[in-house]
Amino acid sequence: MTIVTAPPPPVTSRPVRGSSRRGAMRWLLPLGPALVLLALFLAGPILWSVYIAFTNETLTGSASVHSRFVGVANFVKLFGDPNFLNSFLLTFVFVIGSAVIGQNTLGLIIALLQRGRGRVTRSVVNGVVIAAWVVPEVVAAACWFSFLAEEGTLNRVLGVSQEWLYTAPMLAVILANIWRGTAFSMLVYSAALSEVPADLVEAAAVDGAGPGRRLLHITLPLIRRSIMANLMLITLQTLASFGLIYALTGGGPGTASQTTPLYMYEQAFRYFEIGYGSAIALVMLVIGALFSLVYLRLIKVEDA
Amino acid sequence: MKRTLAGSLLLLLTAVAGCGGGTPQNTSGAKELEVLYKVETTWPYLEKMLGAAKKQYESAHPGVTIKLTAVQGNNEAYYTKLALLNRSPDSAPDLYYHDTFQVNADVAAGKLAPLDDYLAKWPDWSTQFPDSVKQAAKGGDGKIYGVPISTDTRGLWYQKDVFAKAGLPVPWEPKTWNDVLTAARTIKQKLPGVVPFSMYATKIHGEASTMQGFEMLLYGTPGGTLYDDAQKKWVAGGKNFTDALTFVNTVFREELGPKQADAHNAKLGDKVTMEWFPEAKLGISLDGAWASSAWKPTGTKPWPEWTEKIGWTPMPTQNGEAPGAVSMSGGWVMAMSAYTKHKQEAFDFITTATNKENSMAYSVGTGDLAPRKDVAADPKYSADNPSVKFWTDLASVTHYRPAYEVYPKVSTQVQEAMEAVVTGSRTPEEATANYAKALPAAVGGPDKVLSR
Repeated sequence: MTIVTAPPPPVTSRPVRGSSRRGAMRWLLPLGPALVLLALFLAGPILWSVYIAFTNETLTGSASVHSRFVGVANFVKLFGDPNFLNSFLLTFVFVIGSAVIGQNTLGLIIALLQRGRGRVTRSVVNGVVIAAWVVPEVVAAACWFSFLAEEGTLNRVLGVSQEWLYTAPMLAVILANIWRGTAFSMLVYSAALSEVPADLVEAAAVDGAGPGRRLLHITLPLIRRSIMANLMLITLQTLASFGLIYALTGGGPGTASQTTPLYMYEQAFRYFEIGYGSAIALVMLVIGALFSLVYLRLIKVEDA
Repeated sequence: MKRTLAGSLLLLLTAVAGCGGGTPQNTSGAKELEVLYKVETTWPYLEKMLGAAKKQYESAHPGVTIKLTAVQGNNEAYYTKLALLNRSPDSAPDLYYHDTFQVNADVAAGKLAPLDDYLAKWPDWSTQFPDSVKQAAKGGDGKIYGVPISTDTRGLWYQKDVFAKAGLPVPWEPKTWNDVLTAARTIKQKLPGVVPFSMYATKIHGEASTMQGFEMLLYGTPGGTLYDDAQKKWVAGGKNFTDALTFVNTVFREELGPKQADAHNAKLGDKVTMEWFPEAKLGISLDGAWASSAWKPTGTKPWPEWTEKIGWTPMPTQNGEAPGAVSMSGGWVMAMSAYTKHKQEAFDFITTATNKENSMAYSVGTGDLAPRKDVAADPKYSADNPSVKFWTDLASVTHYRPAYEVYPKVSTQVQEAMEAVVTGSRTPEEATANYAKALPAAVGGPDKVLSR
């Protein structure tokens, strides 16, 4: 694909109030191609997939050439489908367990513990945590697969024989995702904590506040916006997480770790039900939007 | 201002043109045919055969090049990739290796080209392919949509050392399902650590679970079938269905089968042929004729002793009902895309890939049964595989899947039912009821379903 960069908007000719029409044209025209491209390659496919969600489109068979509009049938089917409801519940458990509780808390703890440590310690800890973050999902999954396997490291250390991926698949994928994603929260909190004025904390210490009270009443309130922003970002990331679970358990055994993205993949690309798969994707999009709204609302309430 | 606009539009058009395209611009006038096929590290046979066919074809057809495009991975990955490429004429391959159970769905989608006119002029078709094999890729319209590369039958493989240690008779000739289960129970009791009985029964094995697993049971019950040919309706559950699932349930509840972790492992087949059978850690395996191919000198796990250590016997019917044994047959074909611009050249490649030499190389490598009469009659074909005659003879009791357009969807419902029983989340009765409930949506309406 040829990439077209829009010429920068002319800085000298800011639209003046009153003659806004001419002004708008001035910056709209150079931006035009970029907007058209965005519409064509971003909005287009999204609208198309919304349309597909209301059809009975399949990847092969007669419905792939003669697909028709079926209204909300896909959504009616979806909400009566025990497998979807199961996947929805698992996605919720996965997001709360691995992102909101796991990555978020662990990231904050690591960031807090690193304050005031020597450069060497910080580099080593940062390096290790970030290494887990930068490896591709499939590689991370392979590491955890061998760690949790019957003849794997975990069983050796514990001296037991357990098929973790089959006896506790959700726990396994949640742990793997915490391991992989904590770096992001850690970096966000490290940055936020460096903004907390040291003299404020020292003053509280002089006044006799212990570490717990200093954290609760000074540090956390000061970084609350970062907490909300971080929660929103990792929630959205985790909601769409696919590769790690797919490579680790494939959603199994049975449907024991089949979160909604995996369920969508199965319907669309293994059972070839593209229409139904798109409907699931659409529902996920709405859920992601709802989560974001809740967080944004919380940030506003905090500010008020 | 106008110049800016014109420039922007021009840039945009260039961008769009750059993104579009698709068909390669052959300025030289040379023709290229793309062949899509699948390859796994433990299954290199098709790639070898197609490589040879490419060389033969290109030297006989100057000006035409064959582009071999491999899909890495198992069957399920291959089906998905092929279906996605087939979405657009620009990305669709000209020729592809195709599983016969997908053929009718693709015929309905208008993606396959009928071959009848070309076949009529190809002498091998009438002289070398038996009538039963010719049906392999027949569409609902009666036309032929692929030339068979392989066919197969299914039955029981067993480890003779395991049987001897467990005090079971060799040769083993089970007459009923109970005989199979009794042998498995004996192995479990006498030889801890040995997997008594292995079968494919989970979603991860896809069509293998449906065909090697479930259908080998269902079609062995009296009147058991997925599709009623007389009434042209899909059969919704019933006692046959529950009985087949009950067998699966017994295997996994009594722990006669692989452990859950292995039952859900995509590499179960490799474990069976490369570890468990050679190391005498498995008693019985319900699988296809090809299972021994890995043990040949050219295979992925050469095991010269296999001809003495491994036995084979037909899968019995439920209570020994006539004809006493059951088998299922399917196979793969080389098919031609409806989108290809060079149909005659494409068909010529099919005839090259399925000529005697290449067909022989493929069958000997994979252990699949040869669809051609001249290959089957050649002593080289069965030279290092004493089981070939047995698997070929199973054709007398074999069944074919109702490979209609909706079959792949029915198959996935069968896998759902099986896996629910394997994990123990549903009883055979509940799983059957669920299947009966899901079937109308899969086959296109309650009027196409026969309640049992």
